[in-house]
Amino acid sequence: MQLRCILLFSCCLCASPFCGVAGAQGLDPQKLLQQDPTDTWPTYNGDYSGRRFSPLNQVQLANVHALSLAWMFRVRIGGAAMRGVGEPDIKSTPLMVNGILYFTIPDHVFALDARTGLELWHYVWVDKGGHLIGNRGVGMKGNWLYFLAPDGWFISLDAQTGKERWRKKVADEKMQYFTTGAPMVVGNHVIVGVGGDAIDLPGYLEARDPETGELQWRWNSEPRKGEPGSETWPNETAMVHGGGMTWLPGTYDKDLNLLYWGTGNANPVMAGQGRNGADLWTCSIVALNADTGKLAWYFQGSPHDTHDWDNTETPVLFDSQIDGKPRKLLGQASRNGYFFVLDRTNGESIVSKPFVPLNWSKGIDTKGQPIPDKEREPTTDGNLLTIYGGGGTNWMPPSYNPQTGLFYVNAVLGYSLTYLTDTSEHPEGYGGSIRNLWSQHVLEALDHKTGEVKWSHAYTNADASGGGSPGILTTAGGLLFSGDFDGNLIAFNAANGDIVWHFPMLHALGNGPETYLLDERQYVIAGGGDTLYAFALTR
Amino acid sequence: MGPATENRNAHQQRASLRTRRTYRRRHRYLAPTLFLTLCLTVVGTARSQAQQTNPNNAQQEDSRAIRTREFLGLGRVPDAKMAAEGSTIFGATCGFCHGADARGASGPDLLRSSVILDDNQGELISATVHNGRPAKGMPAFPSLTEEQLRDIAEYLHLQVELSANRGTYKALNVVTGNAKAGEAYFNGPGQCNTCHAATGDLAHIGSKMNPPELQQTFLYPVAPQRSAPGVTVTFADGRKITGTLKHLDDFYVSLNDAGGDYHSISLQKGIQVQVDDKLLFHRQMLDKYTNQQMHDLTAYLVTLK
Repeated sequence: MQLRCILLFSCCLCASPFCGVAGAQGLDPQKLLQQDPTDTWPTYNGDYSGRRFSPLNQVQLANVHALSLAWMFRVRIGGAAMRGVGEPDIKSTPLMVNGILYFTIPDHVFALDARTGLELWHYVWVDKGGHLIGNRGVGMKGNWLYFLAPDGWFISLDAQTGKERWRKKVADEKMQYFTTGAPMVVGNHVIVGVGGDAIDLPGYLEARDPETGELQWRWNSEPRKGEPGSETWPNETAMVHGGGMTWLPGTYDKDLNLLYWGTGNANPVMAGQGRNGADLWTCSIVALNADTGKLAWYFQGSPHDTHDWDNTETPVLFDSQIDGKPRKLLGQASRNGYFFVLDRTNGESIVSKPFVPLNWSKGIDTKGQPIPDKEREPTTDGNLLTIYGGGGTNWMPPSYNPQTGLFYVNAVLGYSLTYLTDTSEHPEGYGGSIRNLWSQHVLEALDHKTGEVKWSHAYTNADASGGGSPGILTTAGGLLFSGDFDGNLIAFNAANGDIVWHFPMLHALGNGPETYLLDERQYVIAGGGDTLYAFALTR
Repeated sequence: MGPATENRNAHQQRASLRTRRTYRRRHRYLAPTLFLTLCLTVVGTARSQAQQTNPNNAQQEDSRAIRTREFLGLGRVPDAKMAAEGSTIFGATCGFCHGADARGASGPDLLRSSVILDDNQGELISATVHNGRPAKGMPAFPSLTEEQLRDIAEYLHLQVELSANRGTYKALNVVTGNAKAGEAYFNGPGQCNTCHAATGDLAHIGSKMNPPELQQTFLYPVAPQRSAPGVTVTFADGRKITGTLKHLDDFYVSLNDAGGDYHSISLQKGIQVQVDDKLLFHRQMLDKYTNQQMHDLTAYLVTLK
């Protein structure tokens, strides 16, 4: 029914592929504005809110035991290991549009039949640098896909054929920028972020024209000389090399027309002595006008970070009653171990509470921002932190479930030693390193009003060979899908954390699971290592 | 402290685990923080301690640096010999304006300069030094030979390497504590002597490991240094199997028994799994050490030559 509507619509209106309306295979722009679409997964997070909650309930607590493998697709890229990272690892969340899945690994884009897993086309990019640490997927508008190659190329592909339409350079890999994000289509903009912190560089976020790829606006992660925020840097040199990368897709509130984006760590990464001050707008959540890139407000999760704790984790948008009043909220489980809930109209703090034990902070200031403890900065002889070196969580997608009111995050408990290796007055690069000690992965369900842990599940893994970066999906079927670090894809009861189903994949879950309805059948899609898995109820 | 055990019942397991941070045997890095796993480079104090104690460490450091360089896409490895030559020439010719380490003085920081970062075999750097940049106030150096220019280029590439390639980073001095205080802690509040002896299992430990390695290891050993824990599985009817743990997740436990036979057991209701975690005490101590106590212990352990 849905398909036919789009066919009719597109036949009437879309004589030219440039008219902005999708063809039969393309993405109806209205889908991007819908919350929780069920027949489409049109963006990295499934919709602009970043909640990764689906109202689908065909698969539910009562029948999830019958959830079975429908098909598998294994990435084949010619056998060679990927430079510097080894085997392919799917970290992207596929888009599903009109029965076709589009997903990526670094340097590669694939289109698959969402019913069968049959490969339709495969686009290959040959990089000249950049990091192959991951790629989060593609963005889509009409019949066009948008992809970031690791070496700073922003590429548009024809969704029907995988043929390149154009490419634009958005970041210089020789300067150690790299690009891993899923471009995010918002109205007549494609939002593109960048990564990189091996050399001290300024971060930025760009809006590009969906038709031409030309720059529309650029927001800089640091203020310019004399601008508000510049007082948080000791000098201009430190400021314009200050980091604050924008490598993970953000979220968007169409009513407020605000983009919400997390910024990465300050540079030099661990040696902070050359950049005394809060170092705005690194390690922050920023709210930007989607049409101009102008900063509306910011909240800094890690002022003067010296621990490599990018604050890029998804800013999840949801509405709730706080003290009896309806509020537009934004929740984030930050890599620094704090759970933040803000009023997304103005950035006012509602909750700032650690979700893992930590000793790097002395509490929070009047704005709800953590106060770093100078005594816990990296030292030449090693500083013992009661938090995992990679932080309390990382980029892997969390989920907010409006039915339970819980914010779900895959957290890490642990300890680490942090070393300062560059003691010069003007350090560069990382200037330090981290040694991890004991750690454990734990799925946590947080009360969005208080940050209290309502339930948690410590994954019972004994095998250190595991890996993965398990994201989370929740559904109206009462389910939470995620995974452990041994390769089990697991369905939990979202209300209490009971395990209700699992499937042993060949590799640990490395992306955010997704779900959609196709031919009135609910599919659950998950990526583990080099393989994409599709599940549905047995018929 | 002696071997610590935890008794878990498969049925109650989730409830008990849900009380958080209860139970752990192994250590694992998160894939997305490959950055970090690649930069865990704390081996050896400034080119000396590591190599004195273990010749393999120098090789390990080199391979870590090479792996990280490949990951970062930094291109070819700079030639150390040429860079050493270049260091002298650079210091005398360029250091006054750019700083001896090329990180800038009155002239710009060259480690972030596209002339250096876009250069491969000296082609851009040589031309710039030879011709100067008169418009920007940089004089020409026409008397430098082609070879000297190449050496300078190599020196600059090495400086970028040492800053941008975190695989080359080395811990500075970690032996800052008081060995006497460390010894007292070892035999006193630290309770290390409950399981370990300076003249027994830890004899010559200060010669076997370099100080950063030693510090890491007494806090919590990295995975390859840990032996597989023992495990006992008790069935609902009271029958037991004991052995060496092979695998454990939320659904299955598997082990090799004393005879070498392999057993794989589904964690159904009523089955209890008891894992012998010899490192539980080490983990619990991580909440107790002050930095001073940790550094005192390190200072003491390095004296056990």
